[in-house]
Amino acid sequence: MTEKHLSSQFDSDLNSVSSRLMEMGGLVETQIKRAIHSLTYFSISEIDDVLATEAQVDQMEVEIDRALTTVVARRQPAARDLRLLLAISKITSNLERVGDEAHKIAKRVKSLVESGEARQMPIGDLRVASDLAANLIHRSLDAFARLDVGAAIAIYREDDLIDREFKGFVRKLITCMMEDPRTISSSLDLLFIAKAIERIGDHAKNISEYIIYIVHGTDVRHSKLKGIENIIQ
Amino acid sequence: MPALLSRMMLLLILMAGGAAFASLAGSKTAGVGLGVVAGALIWLVRDNWRARAFADWLNHVRDKPGTPPPLLDGARREAAERIQRLLRKQSFETEELENRLHNIQSALQASPNGVVILDEQECIEWCNRTACEHFGLDSRRDLSQRITHLLRAPALVRRLAMRDFGEALTLESPLATATHPLRLEVQIFPYGHGHLFMLSRDITAIEQAETMRRDFVANVSHEIRTPLTVMSGFVETLQTLPLAEEERADIFNRVAQQTERMKSLVDDLLTLSRLEGSAPPGIKEWTPVRALLERLGTDARALSAHIAGQNVPRHELVIEGMDTSDEIAGSASELQSAFFNLVNNAVRYTPPDGKIVILWQAQPHGGARFSVQDNGPGIAPEHIPRLTERFYRVDSSRSRASGGTGLGLSIVKHVLQRHDATLAIDSTLSRGTCFTVTFPAARVR
Repeated sequence: MTEKHLSSQFDSDLNSVSSRLMEMGGLVETQIKRAIHSLTYFSISEIDDVLATEAQVDQMEVEIDRALTTVVARRQPAARDLRLLLAISKITSNLERVGDEAHKIAKRVKSLVESGEARQMPIGDLRVASDLAANLIHRSLDAFARLDVGAAIAIYREDDLIDREFKGFVRKLITCMMEDPRTISSSLDLLFIAKAIERIGDHAKNISEYIIYIVHGTDVRHSKLKGIENIIQ
Repeated sequence: MPALLSRMMLLLILMAGGAAFASLAGSKTAGVGLGVVAGALIWLVRDNWRARAFADWLNHVRDKPGTPPPLLDGARREAAERIQRLLRKQSFETEELENRLHNIQSALQASPNGVVILDEQECIEWCNRTACEHFGLDSRRDLSQRITHLLRAPALVRRLAMRDFGEALTLESPLATATHPLRLEVQIFPYGHGHLFMLSRDITAIEQAETMRRDFVANVSHEIRTPLTVMSGFVETLQTLPLAEEERADIFNRVAQQTERMKSLVDDLLTLSRLEGSAPPGIKEWTPVRALLERLGTDARALSAHIAGQNVPRHELVIEGMDTSDEIAGSASELQSAFFNLVNNAVRYTPPDGKIVILWQAQPHGGARFSVQDNGPGIAPEHIPRLTERFYRVDSSRSRASGGTGLGLSIVKHVLQRHDATLAIDSTLSRGTCFTVTFPAARVR
């Protein structure tokens, strides 16, 4: 992941922080997968797992931040190493929020299942969007491991798809609620789930921005896709 | 020795030659001394030049072992020859080793299992194509990438961290999607000095089969228990409550219905097990299609009337291709039951006054098609691939109420497989469904 340094201890410090981050990513990915599984099959068997993993993810965020502080204090990194460490710190907080979103989805699914009205709701579109979001997070972590800017840009592009799905889904929910006011409470649950999925997509996009930052040293946050492509070239 | 002697001779001759030249030139002792020195200098230059050539050749021969040594004499030639021999042997051995390595890699490449070789840092040293397909790795780009950076499943990360490689691990592939599930069994074997050998096996099909078997047992038990529960309830009523004659008759009627239901379930199960257990029907026995269609028509009308509780059928039934003289090779009773199952579904699921078209049509390139088309509620696309699974129900409350056992389409599928025929299901929600059976040319005459 990183180039060799004169101090091999520094290399191993950087590697171990990266590994911790990827481990945290793995935890968050399983969390999303389980949340989606419970949403698709309306089963509450995996929800407790999602809720339990939450504490573990939080714990890892704190640990990674502490490790980062130590590395910065001891090694006083510069250039790419500094960017890598800064990006890891930001990605960690993004991942932690993805975990939170998965947590939210799980809680809402639980309340939907308990209300027993979920079967009639237009859940299919949500399934598509949630698979997309999980896939984006997965690919953004892969892109981080490989420091693959091309993949990062692709993620940037695909996040729009999720946003479009989200808007379409909200329109559908509105129709549902107008047709039958009894569905309002489950529609609201679904709305929150959809929002959480949309946020997961946004976090994947943020992670890909940090990958570009590590490799090229340019901050591409809040810039348009066209601008990013120009910077890369 | 002769080489050394000849070199000393050469040196002496050169020195003597130098002295002679000097004495010829005129001067005496000083001249001779100068001549000796000049001769020695010439010798030194020549020797140095040869040493340089030898060193140059050494540089060359390292890359190209075939380069011939320059003109050398004595000890240097011997050294050059030995070096060349050594280099040839070495390059031959390297080549052999490379070949062997290549062979081993091809063997691992050919393995149906995924193979990943990890070094002591848990970085990928090599992986085969199957592993790439299983884990979404890139066999070039991901080399020397730490495995846990790409395979982030917590269960695997934990195993690697604890170095606990006892049992195999079941993982979902990172490439798995809702439509293409991919479950993997991963086993890690440590070897050498901290190296790891990771094997992955695709167990999607095995897991699916296992789930189906479990579901089947659960479903059969459930299907049998339901009528039993109803009946035991009625029996209890009969035992404990004093009932009027009419009420008793009503209860007996219902018990009869439930036993009928259980009987048809057991019949269907037996049919299925017979279909699975017996050899497929040969192509000796020929069944006229016309008779099949006629009987189908009669049965369908009777069923339609029976469901509506009237004497006349409530559906519009059309049979096309009735005048055919085709014959199908295969068991008449099996085909009858498969066809009737399709018609049965159409009649039961199409609302009254719906239209059902049964069609027999010979195909232009041989073979024939049998189809049942209705204009009923249709089937949602996500159910279609699973329709022929045992006990799979699109809407469980409705189909059980209409008296289905949940085995009809599995029977159809089995019968058709035994007759080399295929089943295609084409459906649009709220438009209707068409089940099409296609027989190959060899089975139709």
